[in-house]
Amino acid sequence: MDSLVPLPELEPSPDISPEFRRKKRRKTEEKPAYYHRTQGNQRMNRWRTGREQQIYSSKLIEALRRHSPRTSSSANGNDVRNTAYRVLAVSAKGTTRWSRAILISRLSAKVRKHKKAKVSANRKSRKPASNREKRKLPAVERKLMALGRLVPGCRKISFSTLLEETSDYIAALEMQVRAMTAITEFLAVANDGGAMPPADRLGSNVNS
Amino acid sequence: MSSSRRSRSRQSGVPRITDDQLAHLVSKLQHLIPELRRSRSDKVAASKVLQETCDYIRSLRREVDDLSDRLSELLASTDMDSEQAAIMRSLLM
Repeated sequence: MDSLVPLPELEPSPDISPEFRRKKRRKTEEKPAYYHRTQGNQRMNRWRTGREQQIYSSKLIEALRRHSPRTSSSANGNDVRNTAYRVLAVSAKGTTRWSRAILISRLSAKVRKHKKAKVSANRKSRKPASNREKRKLPAVERKLMALGRLVPGCRKISFSTLLEETSDYIAALEMQVRAMTAITEFLAVANDGGAMPPADRLGSNVNS
Repeated sequence: MSSSRRSRSRQSGVPRITDDQLAHLVSKLQHLIPELRRSRSDKVAASKVLQETCDYIRSLRREVDDLSDRLSELLASTDMDSEQAAIMRSLLM
């Protein structure tokens, strides 16, 4: 639905060697700021629409129903949370780094169960240099790095990308909270009532 | 000031940021955070905006965690079959 705004590719001058041209093309793979601004705002605002929330609620309910059949032991807080984030990431349709990172980390979590030792070794070597050095970065840069760590998949990216990812991530999280709150309130009412409301009352609610 | 930032950012993979980029980022973030939207002042310190952003994300995630726990409790006591799920979906529309 989002129409892509293509940007004209800069023509490399003819006397540049093919190797250099290839290198230059690789550098411009990170999309310029203009592209981000038009696409990012559209994408971010969709999280604020009622339709997106309905779609998410619907998918989440379906996923929760499938994951917790008659045996209620499988439905614990962690399972629900993982399902909620997975459905949220899927709803992003691969358009953002954070959503892709969530889905990828779930895949690697399954691998990690069999390869525990190997992964922990990798983890240690990935520690940033600033932890080993006693010198502290200035506050702003420290907080920028903290923000990069909070948004999934955004530890080492440009600042314009980090801004876009953060905006989208926050908007998506807000929608997730709204959707899960509505579902929770509904289930709480249904539970208190002891049973689902009678069919005729439901009919009038749906039609209003 | 910018020269010291330049030399220090050689380490740990932090990309360089210019003052302009930072100001742009900070002003954009300000509009996302409810706390800062309310104050309406244009001159909020960059570190404060970043701190509020991080805090806001953490609080949102904590809310999701709490909601997940509550949902799991409620799901344990309701037996949600497909009919109930369909009704709930239609009510949420």
